[in-house]
Amino acid sequence: MMDKMIFGRYVPAESPMHRLDPRAKLLMVFIFVFIIFLANNIATYVVIGAFTLLILNMSKIPAGFLIGGLRPVFYLILFTFFLHLFFTKEGDLLFKWNFIEVYENGLRQGIFISLRFAFLILITSILTLTTTPISITDGLETLFNPLKKWKLPVHELALMMSISLRFIPTLMEETDKIMKAQAARGTEFSTGPIKNRIKAIVPLLIPLFVSSFKRAEELATAMESRGYRGGEGRTKYRLLKWESKDTILLAAIMVLTVLLLLLRS
Amino acid sequence: MKNGNVLMMVEVAVFAALALLLDMVSQFIFSRIWPQGGSISIAMVPVFIMAFRWGIKGGLLSGLLLGLLQIVTGFASIAHPVQGFLDYPLAFTLVGIAGVFAGGIQNSFLKGNRKKSYILMTLGIFAGSFLRFLCHFASGIVFFGSYAPEGQPVALYSLVYNGTYMAISFILSAIIAVLLYSTAHRTLFKKALT
Repeated sequence: MMDKMIFGRYVPAESPMHRLDPRAKLLMVFIFVFIIFLANNIATYVVIGAFTLLILNMSKIPAGFLIGGLRPVFYLILFTFFLHLFFTKEGDLLFKWNFIEVYENGLRQGIFISLRFAFLILITSILTLTTTPISITDGLETLFNPLKKWKLPVHELALMMSISLRFIPTLMEETDKIMKAQAARGTEFSTGPIKNRIKAIVPLLIPLFVSSFKRAEELATAMESRGYRGGEGRTKYRLLKWESKDTILLAAIMVLTVLLLLLRS
Repeated sequence: MKNGNVLMMVEVAVFAALALLLDMVSQFIFSRIWPQGGSISIAMVPVFIMAFRWGIKGGLLSGLLLGLLQIVTGFASIAHPVQGFLDYPLAFTLVGIAGVFAGGIQNSFLKGNRKKSYILMTLGIFAGSFLRFLCHFASGIVFFGSYAPEGQPVALYSLVYNGTYMAISFILSAIIAVLLYSTAHRTLFKKALT
């Protein structure tokens, strides 16, 4: 079971998308999520589709991973497609069978909306497929830095995120170990009546929590003895470097925005 | 930074990681019962534990962290900016509201009134789950509102979709929390208390 839980969805590879600064990718995705709602006719969908394909191509992520990312929302995409297909009753009647009527606008809306959905999921997946969770955290920390003025604990949150991310593999191993230990004692986690499954969770959770408290205490002691005292004047091991290709990415998304504004009807 | 704060930060961070893991473990345990079972999750349990241990601040922080972790690890599905914000950072942060009962729960436990403590716990878990449900419900309206054709009963879709798994997640979290505290309260509360 644990081998299915690859840590995050990051796929290591050498590609132009992988090498971009996480801040540039975050900004690109953030802008994209808003401007995709500007698309409302064939021309705009073609432009935004071309942009998505270009980004996908630049990421060198195998198609299998991309499709895997779409799987959880696949039924929602289908559902929205059919909702539009059957319930939008505008335009010319294209098809009629008993009570099922398909109109031109319904078909068009169905295709547009499902495409919009797919493009959004693909672009947001590209961010997490080509950027390690820890660089996304670093990127978010720098982008949200100005919010420190309003007393938002940006540094503390970023540090906590890094600690969480660091602990996921350790805790995963621990969970696996405890599950096996309890299974050896006869606990059934994935079969049997639901009542037994819930009861089986308790002997899994308690040892897990006990060791988590212990690890947390040790880490806190280590941090204090090394003089951790918050974000002021703290230096970083991983430094982010903004390069010209990052500016190009932002310029590209700006061009896309302008194109969408010009072409939309 | 005061000393207790570093310990709280680290514990909250570790428990947020645990919550993310439990989310995946519960998919493994429950997904074969029914197809949408994947949404039913005991991921809120560590957040409630932090809320009852450190009060509202610990609860809100671990919830926020869980929401952010889902986004950075790529397990979140974001199809609309408002939906993304409502479904992840906001929904899970509000789970931590359960922490308002932390004082009462710890006091009743100290006085040996376990029954009252469990009732307060369930109330806290209900409050957290309900607020989380409201976020998903609102995000569902935003989501279906922007994806479904006009004139569709979007509120009903959202209510049915989010209501079912949230109700079960609430019941499950409450049962597990009570089971956990009845067997291991010494570990789960702060040391000074026991």
